Amino acid sequence: MSYGRYGRPALKNSVDVQLQTAFTDGNWNTVIRLADKRFKTLKDPYYEAIRIAAESQLDGTTERCTALIAIDELVKSKAVPDYDTLELLEWAARDYLYDTEYAETLGPLRARWVKANPKSKYSVKCLQSCLEFWDLVSAQQIATTLDKAFANSGDRQYMFWSITLTYLLSISPQCSEASKKVYSLLVVKQLERAADNTENSEKVEPKDRGLLQEEEISLYYRVMLSHGSKEDFISRMESSKLGPLAQLKEGRKDLFYQALNAYESWSEWDRIYDLCRQALRLGLDGATPTFSVCDYKVWKKFALAASKSKDHDTALGEVQSILKEFIALKTNTAMYKKNIALALLDTAFRQPTAPGSSGSESGLTPRVIQIGLYLDSYFDKLSAFDDVKDFVAELSFDEVKGLMEEVLPKMLEEKSEKSSQVILKSLICKLRYLLTTCTQTLSHNPSVADGQEQDKPYQCRLCSNLTSLPCENCLRSVVTEAAQIYQQIVDDSELLAVIPRFDKDPRIDLALVMGNSILKLSGLRPRTSDVAPAPLRDVNPSLFLQAVLVLDTQLKVTPGDVALRLLLAQLYLLLGCASYAYQIWTPLDVKRTIQDSLSPLFFDRISSLSPGLFTGTRPLMEPLRSYYNNSLHSSCPLRIWDAFGSGSYSSILEMTEFDSKLRRSCTLMMSIVEERRATRAFGGKIECEIGDLALTENIDDTTTILNKTDYGSFVNLESPEGPPIQEFLRIGPELSNERAHLSFLAEQYLDLIHHKPPKDHRPYKPSEASIKERAYTFETLSQLNNSLTGFIHRPTTPAALTSPEATYYTVVSLLSAAVLTALSTTRAEPYPAETMSVITSSIRTAFTGLHTRFTSSSTASKGGVDETLYSLSDMHTLSYVRETALAMRHSAAFVQAWNDRELARDRSGKSTLHKDGLAELKALDAMAAKTVTEVKGHIQKLKEALGQGGWLDKMLDWTFGAAEGSQEEGDEKVRKAVEDVVGGREGAEEWVGKVVESWGQGVKGWGLVKME
Amino acid sequence: MANFRQFRPDDLNKFSKCNLDPFTETYELGFYLQYHAKWPSLFQVAEDQHGNIIGYIMGKLESSPDYYKFSEHYLPWHAHITAVTVAPEARRLGIGKMLTEQLEAAADANDAWFVDLFVRSTNHKAIQFYKSMGYSIFRTVKDYYGDHSSDPTKSSEDAYDMRKPMKRDVKKEHIREDGEKFEVDPSDVW
Ligand SMILES: CC(C)(COP(=O)(O)OP(=O)(O)OC[C@H]1O[C@@H](n2cnc3c(N)ncnc32)[C@H](O)[C@@H]1OP(=O)(O)O)[C@@H](O)C(=O)NCCC(=O)NCCS
Repeated sequence: MSYGRYGRPALKNSVDVQLQTAFTDGNWNTVIRLADKRFKTLKDPYYEAIRIAAESQLDGTTERCTALIAIDELVKSKAVPDYDTLELLEWAARDYLYDTEYAETLGPLRARWVKANPKSKYSVKCLQSCLEFWDLVSAQQIATTLDKAFANSGDRQYMFWSITLTYLLSISPQCSEASKKVYSLLVVKQLERAADNTENSEKVEPKDRGLLQEEEISLYYRVMLSHGSKEDFISRMESSKLGPLAQLKEGRKDLFYQALNAYESWSEWDRIYDLCRQALRLGLDGATPTFSVCDYKVWKKFALAASKSKDHDTALGEVQSILKEFIALKTNTAMYKKNIALALLDTAFRQPTAPGSSGSESGLTPRVIQIGLYLDSYFDKLSAFDDVKDFVAELSFDEVKGLMEEVLPKMLEEKSEKSSQVILKSLICKLRYLLTTCTQTLSHNPSVADGQEQDKPYQCRLCSNLTSLPCENCLRSVVTEAAQIYQQIVDDSELLAVIPRFDKDPRIDLALVMGNSILKLSGLRPRTSDVAPAPLRDVNPSLFLQAVLVLDTQLKVTPGDVALRLLLAQLYLLLGCASYAYQIWTPLDVKRTIQDSLSPLFFDRISSLSPGLFTGTRPLMEPLRSYYNNSLHSSCPLRIWDAFGSGSYSSILEMTEFDSKLRRSCTLMMSIVEERRATRAFGGKIECEIGDLALTENIDDTTTILNKTDYGSFVNLESPEGPPIQEFLRIGPELSNERAHLSFLAEQYLDLIHHKPPKDHRPYKPSEASIKERAYTFETLSQLNNSLTGFIHRPTTPAALTSPEATYYTVVSLLSAAVLTALSTTRAEPYPAETMSVITSSIRTAFTGLHTRFTSSSTASKGGVDETLYSLSDMHTLSYVRETALAMRHSAAFVQAWNDRELARDRSGKSTLHKDGLAELKALDAMAAKTVTEVKGHIQKLKEALGQGGWLDKMLDWTFGAAEGSQEEGDEKVRKAVEDVVGGREGAEEWVGKVVESWGQGVKGWGLVKME
Repeated sequence: MANFRQFRPDDLNKFSKCNLDPFTETYELGFYLQYHAKWPSLFQVAEDQHGNIIGYIMGKLESSPDYYKFSEHYLPWHAHITAVTVAPEARRLGIGKMLTEQLEAAADANDAWFVDLFVRSTNHKAIQFYKSMGYSIFRTVKDYYGDHSSDPTKSSEDAYDMRKPMKRDVKKEHIREDGEKFEVDPSDVW
């Protein structure tokens, strides 16, 4: 038996020992008997409450209801309830009291009690209880009562609780739009008054109702920013007491940043310039610790603001002069020195003189020289590439030449140590790769010549070759160059011995450069919409496999490298090796809190790639499920009371917002849907309808579901202008609001058509129950159809789905319409032939398209690679063919069963469905059934293909080409480079074994999937 | 490059650079939020230009519960470093040190006697790091960790309880020499 989340309340001291003991021991029957007796003799309703609380601990439904009924009566009575009675009843009811019910019953009772007893020590407990049920209306009332009661006591927290709760209410869905306005005005007024109290008094004492602590002022800034006008905020920021500069002197950096960010959102560049300048001066004068002002962000905003100033020359001059003063400070730590060095670089890029116009033909502009200076100091740091990347991408072509052909070679010459040379060389390789992704290295060639479209519409300005985007020639030479340096390291035992002392093993960078370049050469491109072909269809498989092999080889040497692991896990998912991808993913140990942002990197779409993974000993989604259950078990944000108790008002606002976002997480929806799909695939029982889960409780069509995937640990060598690396690596578009909603709705549809009343369910009044069921089904179908259609037709949706997903959701949406039409047309009624035919033919067209994608063999068999490879790397399509076909079959079965039931209920046959509707669904069923058989056959064929021998040679041939010279000259060079790094064909044998084994495991899993 | 500021819960979605490193433990959400709720100024982060968190420190201010007052292991008012971590790419730039100094300043401002922390006895880098900033070993907690970070055959590992005295401890009463030899059981630390 559960005692609720909180301990049993203590009974009043006046209660006799016998009853106390029975209550403490949980002897509920004894408690009921004794309490009843006491009530009869003493007439004290408290004993009635004890009896009800005890009854609620028994396992009957009626007993449980008594507590709710007692609470309702208290609400109606309008009298001030007894505190201990409230405690008892709340405890008795808390496990089955919805939050909304609380807000209508116990919340207002608590507020009523506090109004009558504001100074009681239990008042705060009442507030806490309201917050536990996230009843903001009652909580705000209680806080306001407390504030009034303690207004002159010096206990400031009541005042700020009241203000904070008024603010939370003003932005909460618990509040009507009209009340939101009222509360917004109220909270602004309260804080303005408090601010004025501070401004107007010499020294604020704790008992004054002014702003004193950082958290109080932070609340003031936040509320003014959210509810006040821009003009008011700006004028209040001028204050010499509460303004950001004054606060910075107290070391209150957060306020400084809030003001700075606000100015930036309004493009108030002059204000940003002034604020940064004064703040940095404070740092120089020692009036505030450098810690408070020396962030790179401050420098960057300062330089940017200066460049936007009317007199930018003077302004930028000031930036530089302050920078120089900081450089002269002896106390700078390495971090500040680095920030300052970057700030110098940034300032060079903010200078208005356009590059090229400086007359410097060599491209050795101040910007290039500054990059050189920076790299000279920091080339061996892990972050060197990321630090300069955006700057390099901004250079003009002449500057690029200056950097790559003069500055860096010279720097290389000056490095006498072998180890430094190697590190610098691998950095140069990364920069060369970066430049292949930057458009300034290409010039347009007429894209149409002699009326023919050119397949190489550009000329590469670095190597002069005609090219498409990116320049393949440059990519190939990056590969060979990187492979050479790699070999140089491997062959040099002295170098190998010093590597552990480096920030990072340079071989990792070199392998990443090779891998990325070869992937680009293979033709791998982002698949960011529903028209993109399956992952490897338009890719040169040989090059793709080489890239994977190089990276995999490196992972064996440096298994601790996170970026390599992340990259490879994605690549193996593309290749159809989900079980191997999982082996690579697992050591990253993504668990607990970081799952929400990182799990999608592996688990998104996983049930469509490899359902077999769900049959492992460890339930695949369990860690995610328990994370969300632990973090969101009550509607109150986790730990919020701690923040109230500590007066951390800004934390309260942030935690509330975070909680609201976590409830709307795409990852959460993904974890539920993936698990349900897998459960269905293996014929398991789905315990709860998706719409009834506590975790989806507050999600409706208007909810924005948020994607928070963290790609921060990917090594992204791409130009900031183009798509980041992760877009090349995913099966399809990333998680999104659109996809989350569609998957949620489709699951609701499946819940509806799979719903079976319990076998022993005999409704009391069968015909009434049947009318109700009908109404419910029609209503649900029509709602689902509306919502699905709405989401499918959003302009942003095509960019959120793969092509198979788009078909699936389209078909499900049409099916909901078809089923609704069929169910609502009895045989006695005219049949809406036209409507139905439009719907079913749309289903056919969509389904046929998907079917064609599934069956079409690759048009040109590339590099002799047979269809098996393409099929293995495209189980996603197969999966959606199956899902779609089954949705069609189950819809037809649902309609048929409905008809059978109607026939059984009403022998006259009047309420049975129109035969044409039944026939149309039957036809869809037949079509789907045929396809399901094909899917089964396809899986069987894959199984057989993998069972045949000769995979080692086959794979090696696919990877390296069947015979020397069988590839184009350029690809031949790449192949040689790869062979060198991985140790030739022999070096690849173990890898082939793993890949083939993983395919086998995947197909084995598919063999277990239910096809009906 | 780095910016320093107070932690915000949204930062948890940007923790990968720190938390995918095996030396950094990942906790349940409530644990992070508890620190943010109770000691927001002692939970500071360093972020890079893309908003990735490249370092953070989590700390608290407390003393042992009153009922331990008469125990020899009673801890008076002090600051405790619960976690400090810097992403591999941002190490040796002084970020860890700045985060720690910031917490020490808060400890002084709150009149704490000392700052203390636990570290695995084999985490030599971290021990070096703390020593470089004036921390010393106060005691060894035998088998404090239920696993061993580098030797899978062992089922536990000792912790060093390291301390640095703050301004309030003028007479340096809260540190000792050769603290390494002063061994206590995990049940003695709270
Ligand atoms: C320990 C850790 C936080 C240090 O962070 P950091 O930002 O690299 O440290 P700093 O740059 O501020 O170093 C300050 C001083 O500590 C010492 N130090 C830091 N790392 C060191 C190392 N690996 N070896 C030797 N001394 C080291 C040095 O004296 C250094 O000063 P110096 O660079 O001028 O010589 C970081 O290595 C880390 O996150 N490790 C993994 C997580 C961890 O172990 N946390 C501690 C758990 S209790």
